[in-house]
Amino acid sequence: MSASQPPPQTLFIGLDGCTYTILDELIRERPGEGLVMPFLADLIGRGVRCKLRSTPNPLTPPAWTTIMTGKGPGSHGVFDFIRAEDKGGDVYWTLYDSRDVDSEMIWSIASRAGKKIAALNFPLTAPPPKDINGAIVPGFIPAKHLRRNSHPQGLFERIKQDVPGFDPKELAWDFDKEKQAMETLSDADMENWVRYHLPREEQWFKIAEYVLTQERPDLMAVMFDGTDKIQHQAWQFLDPRLAPAQPSELYRRVRGVCLDYFRNLDRYIERLVTAAGPQAQVYFASDHGFTATVEVLRINSYLEDLGYLKFAANDGSELARRREAADFANVDWSQTVAYCRTPSSNGIHIRVASNPGDVGIPKKDYQRFRDKLIEQLKALRNDQGEPVVVDVLKREDWFPGPHMKDACDLTLVLRDHGFVSIRNLKPAVVRRPNPIGTHHPDGIFIACGPGVKAGETLARRQIVDVAPTLLHSLGLPIPEDFEGAVAENFFEPDWLAQHPVRAGAPTRRRGEREQTQEMDAQEKQQIIEQLQMLGYME
Amino acid sequence: MNDHSEPLHAPTDAESLVPRLVALLEDFTQDWDHELSGQMTRETRLLADLGFESIDIIQLVVAIEEEITHKKMPFDQLLLKDGRYVDDLSIGQIADFLARHL
Repeated sequence: MSASQPPPQTLFIGLDGCTYTILDELIRERPGEGLVMPFLADLIGRGVRCKLRSTPNPLTPPAWTTIMTGKGPGSHGVFDFIRAEDKGGDVYWTLYDSRDVDSEMIWSIASRAGKKIAALNFPLTAPPPKDINGAIVPGFIPAKHLRRNSHPQGLFERIKQDVPGFDPKELAWDFDKEKQAMETLSDADMENWVRYHLPREEQWFKIAEYVLTQERPDLMAVMFDGTDKIQHQAWQFLDPRLAPAQPSELYRRVRGVCLDYFRNLDRYIERLVTAAGPQAQVYFASDHGFTATVEVLRINSYLEDLGYLKFAANDGSELARRREAADFANVDWSQTVAYCRTPSSNGIHIRVASNPGDVGIPKKDYQRFRDKLIEQLKALRNDQGEPVVVDVLKREDWFPGPHMKDACDLTLVLRDHGFVSIRNLKPAVVRRPNPIGTHHPDGIFIACGPGVKAGETLARRQIVDVAPTLLHSLGLPIPEDFEGAVAENFFEPDWLAQHPVRAGAPTRRRGEREQTQEMDAQEKQQIIEQLQMLGYME
Repeated sequence: MNDHSEPLHAPTDAESLVPRLVALLEDFTQDWDHELSGQMTRETRLLADLGFESIDIIQLVVAIEEEITHKKMPFDQLLLKDGRYVDDLSIGQIADFLARHL
């Protein structure tokens, strides 16, 4: 590090899926286990903390995109991992990427203001926006594609040369492994799954330390996502409320590996906070929280029971078997009017017949059909007679904005916050053999550093508040079209008086988007049709 | 990201696209372990010759749109045939498709 380079103003550490339910047990002394995260315990004691309410469907891509843009999914346009385009008879599936983010990210906003940034392992940052002053190594990208998706050109090669033990295969996203997060695994596979994340996180830490000390960005941001992955599969080993009276050997071993992960994480946090220096404000946020899910709702199976969906025929071939096992809807499109695309969407799309002969609900019947479906969803009961679906969110209420039309028509909130299954299996509701982790809408938001209050627990904030708070920490004005607000209650009154929140110009769209900003006639017609269906227009 | 070319201006013939796709794919696969010996040509297939998996095709679509066409292309028309995803693609098929849509 050169003495002439200024220290970072802001260090932002993302912890995917982090929840106080687990974190609070790790930052206090526990009999037989001691204090697992002593550095973080001390840091939180010197700072402020609050819960952070996630996006309506608390899921990694939309929620992190909201953290990065200060806008909800209806505005930024990212709803899921997989993006589907209904082509009438067929559905074309691909993945969301940064070009689908229809809102400017804080990385670009800060770069435009002359700040240097680093963003490591955040989803939806590939391909990296071209207007970045600083470094991006994207998350959720397979090893083979990391080099080309890192910014600036040559950064990946420098990391490869300078960071001892750097191994992109150990670090990067593996599509098949990722799927395991939601699958029922054998004990051995589950244990391996947990262990796999330790070296992976070490890799991201080494890159973060390298970039922080070499590049000295004004905004240094890194996301660790092992927290989410481990909690999905190993929740029963992490949540002390589920601890067995007589722990088995497996329990002791897996819990031990989980605690090792969090001990490592504490060490990474200590090293990064120390490297950032005492003048940096430090922030932590998670995209959502975590809890336990105890049952499975096979939503497409239920929609089949209701007569709205027909599963695709399975001819017994290997291809059919693989297709049925895939995590996107496998239905007979000629006989399906309502379906769930992916488990992670936790929602239902209603197909509307736009043209004569199209499969779907006639436009004039949309409202009536949807209201009836909501009633049928809320009427569903499990074996114990308990309602399975406790809330059903209409997209116009929860996803306002230019991308509302891409949201599920209905987003489901299950009683245990579980994700639905889209498998062709009966019965529609079944109890899980063991509780597993699932996303809870309340994550974490923590701050510490100069100007930040000490030792306070504050009221829950919204996920759209993270982006303006980070920009304010950098000394930048808050774009007037941001949907959240600076967490002013995090700061000492004196500091806030010296650093008042300033409103700034609205965010910009990327050049590519500016060209398409003008809606063409077809898009305008689609929006009019949406509004007509919802009864807003005659 | 590397930028191999200036934006294209229509009309573009498929043959002029082949060397640009080859240059892109050579960079794209430079640190892969594929078994292709010799030069990539119009006949080189993504899965059979270059060891592509489906996730790699998604990444290639992004790279083509970012570096060759500089706009989104209706790749569903190339990748989906009769409701099923195609088994493999050659560089020539991609060039022909791009030429038709540029």
